[in-house]
Amino acid sequence: MHLDTFETLADPTRRRIVDALRGGERQVNDIVLQAGIHQSGVSRHLRILHEAGFVSVRPEGQRRLYALRPEPFRQLETWLAGYRQLWEARLDRFGVALEQRRAKDATDEEPGS
Amino acid sequence: MSDTDSNAGTGAPQAIMVIERTYPAGVEELWALWTTKAGFESWWGPEGFRVEVHTLDGRPGGVLEYDMIAEAPEAIAAMKTMGQPLSHGTRGTFAEFRPHERLRLVHVIDFIPGTEPYDSVIEVGFSTVGDRARMVVTLHPHIDPHWTRMSIEGFKSQLTKLDTRFGM
Repeated sequence: MHLDTFETLADPTRRRIVDALRGGERQVNDIVLQAGIHQSGVSRHLRILHEAGFVSVRPEGQRRLYALRPEPFRQLETWLAGYRQLWEARLDRFGVALEQRRAKDATDEEPGS
Repeated sequence: MSDTDSNAGTGAPQAIMVIERTYPAGVEELWALWTTKAGFESWWGPEGFRVEVHTLDGRPGGVLEYDMIAEAPEAIAAMKTMGQPLSHGTRGTFAEFRPHERLRLVHVIDFIPGTEPYDSVIEVGFSTVGDRARMVVTLHPHIDPHWTRMSIEGFKSQLTKLDTRFGM
């Protein structure tokens, strides 16, 4: 995992372009229409997305077709899964601490204990 | 991962994560684990670390200050490997403090070399469901490679301890 993966998606314009590509391969004009962003902006952000590995590009005649690549999204999922499990484990400890606290309270309240 | 438009423009790469748990207890007991010195110290922190609370000012805007101290040999070794001190002071604020209902804890993360200080936000909602208490924890993970590495290391050590606990 490298910082670029997250920095790339931190930009709202790039997230709109990624959304526009979720339906499949698109050429720049279609992305411009779908994302509602000026063409120069789309081209610049597509270049960044391509450099960061989010987007592939292939020529077809005069056109260049852009598509999403799965690898960085898998990386994001892996990172988030690790983060989630970290917190799941932390809340397991919370549960254990809660049980211990309850057990102690019950002992303290037991008459004659 | 949720798309977080609220972060748009801040440049902070962030995600939102929600974890929900239900415990056979009262909400006030859950609340105590977050908002009392003994309660907080009984579970907070990564595996192999202990927490020593210095200030816990339970009110809106109240300060939470504690030391996170590497205790287990593997935690000590991990911190040494990463060139981190074995104990570091951590400071947070109870941005929201509504007893038995809602807590918003904001930590200032200022100990990661090469990374500008940033806020780490944890929101906790408490409610009663029948004779159980429900807790919804909303996390806003700040994502950077150093922290990721530490988290994954912490995660691995936690899994090891869980495995031990459940005899797996």
